Amino acid sequence: MFAVHVESLVKTYGSRRVLDGVNLDVPEGQFYALMGPNGSGKTTLSSIIAAVKTQDSGIVEVYGKKPAQAREFIGYVPQENFSSPKLSGRENLMYFASLLGYSDNQANQLVTDMLKRVGLSEEADKRVGKYSGGMRKRLEVATAIFPGIRVLILDEPTTGLDPAARRSFFGMTQEIMDKNTSIILITHIGSDAELASRVGLIDNGRIIAEGTPDELKRKYAVEDVITVETAANNDEVLSILKDFSIEGRVSESETGYKVFSRNGDRVLADVVRSLDQAGHKVMRIEMARPTLEDVFFRLTDRSLQEATR
Amino acid sequence: MRQISAAFIKTIKELLREKAALFWTIAWPIIWVVIGSFSFTGSAPQEVIPYIKGSIAISMMVFALMIAGMSNLPASIAGDRANGLLSKLISMPIKPYKDFIGRISAVIVLSFLAAALVIVIGMAVGARFTGTWIEILQAIGFILLVICASAGVGLMAGTLIKNLQGAIMTGVGIAVITSALSGLFAPYEVLPVPLQVFSRIYPISSAQASIVHLLAGPEMIAYDPLTSGQIALTIALSLVLLFVGTVLYSRLGWKVD
Repeated sequence: MFAVHVESLVKTYGSRRVLDGVNLDVPEGQFYALMGPNGSGKTTLSSIIAAVKTQDSGIVEVYGKKPAQAREFIGYVPQENFSSPKLSGRENLMYFASLLGYSDNQANQLVTDMLKRVGLSEEADKRVGKYSGGMRKRLEVATAIFPGIRVLILDEPTTGLDPAARRSFFGMTQEIMDKNTSIILITHIGSDAELASRVGLIDNGRIIAEGTPDELKRKYAVEDVITVETAANNDEVLSILKDFSIEGRVSESETGYKVFSRNGDRVLADVVRSLDQAGHKVMRIEMARPTLEDVFFRLTDRSLQEATR
Repeated sequence: MRQISAAFIKTIKELLREKAALFWTIAWPIIWVVIGSFSFTGSAPQEVIPYIKGSIAISMMVFALMIAGMSNLPASIAGDRANGLLSKLISMPIKPYKDFIGRISAVIVLSFLAAALVIVIGMAVGARFTGTWIEILQAIGFILLVICASAGVGLMAGTLIKNLQGAIMTGVGIAVITSALSGLFAPYEVLPVPLQVFSRIYPISSAQASIVHLLAGPEMIAYDPLTSGQIALTIALSLVLLFVGTVLYSRLGWKVD
């Protein structure tokens, strides 16, 4: 039996089909990342699995039960910061422990232990309004790891966190989780999804590819990725770069243009020369192995940023 | 029971730590009790002034109860919806009605705290009250009706208005406007006839008139709010408001789709 089983799932809002026949299986103990741009349907999918929303048609099961009947197994961390800023970290966790029916004594012991596990013992009695974004998210994960939780759903948990805080967050999450607990991570950040043992890429309400991060990269993004940063970004630069990229595909990212090539080493020097001859100063150029974001681009011809726009 | 007490403790702590809620619910009515007690007694005979001050304290106590129910309650609901707590709660094995009871109990406790403080300050600035124990108990019954009606309006605002600031301002707006229109801040006899009619129909002003009648004396109110028809109307409309608010909250308040 899968921890989570989704079959032919459809969800519409008005005339818009947000989920269009999604199939997904997450075995027990697997860390699964669902990656896609905003509006791709990933948050809707996660909230249906978390029993927050209902589907129009299709099957969703958590350990063989409908999500509404499996709430005691589900630990859900929505995207928003839902902890109360007026309460301390300890008070927030005591609130959730009481909601789950623990007595004051049990809740006290459990909460003290959980605060320690998420590294917030020192800050336990500070109001959450004074926490950093990373601390607050760690506290919110603690609300979803009470004993008995077997499926942890994290919706964009690292949005707004810097790379160091993101690494620390995932290190903590994997450390505190029981090895039999499945984690479903919803994200639009490739480097976060790389940490998962299996990744599903979702776009326009459909899962367009699935596999381990390495499998996806081997299958869909065999090319080298050359990232070029020029003094000015304009159509002429884009046009020059297109000549060097497979099928003229150039993706625009926060770090510059991305050019895809099967012969990165040789093309690198040619790119610099051509830009230089056209009077465009190259500020930075580097070659790297493809990322999951590149895989998404290869499959959809849109970068995650473009797809989000 | 644990779920109800969890929602109660969380809500009461948040309300007591929210400066704006404390200001509007407790400080603002107290300020007006103090100002009103020294400014609005006019040329009334000396022996009547303590009871005029008493009726001012009662009016401001009712206003405090209105703000607690109409603004603090929807702020609590809309705030938790806006910050995603509602989604989190829906994903947990929790019964919505238990959350509702916990929240509303916290608002009732804050309401009584505010009411007690307003009355104590009123007495400190010279307000005096009459009434037998039976009349005091009857007055407490009318206070409960004010809380029911205000909470009903608050539940509607918190459920229908998704935006936090919108829910708060709608609640404050309804409280202030209906208070002004129904004569909570002015003697009944100076209101134009249509507003006098509204004052007798609106359950909160009718309950306020009943409390003043019972605790400050019948001469403080220009009509008799304690006829059986008037009492029945006040009870019925207060409960209707609470019922409609509760139904809306339980059907729509926990709906995310």
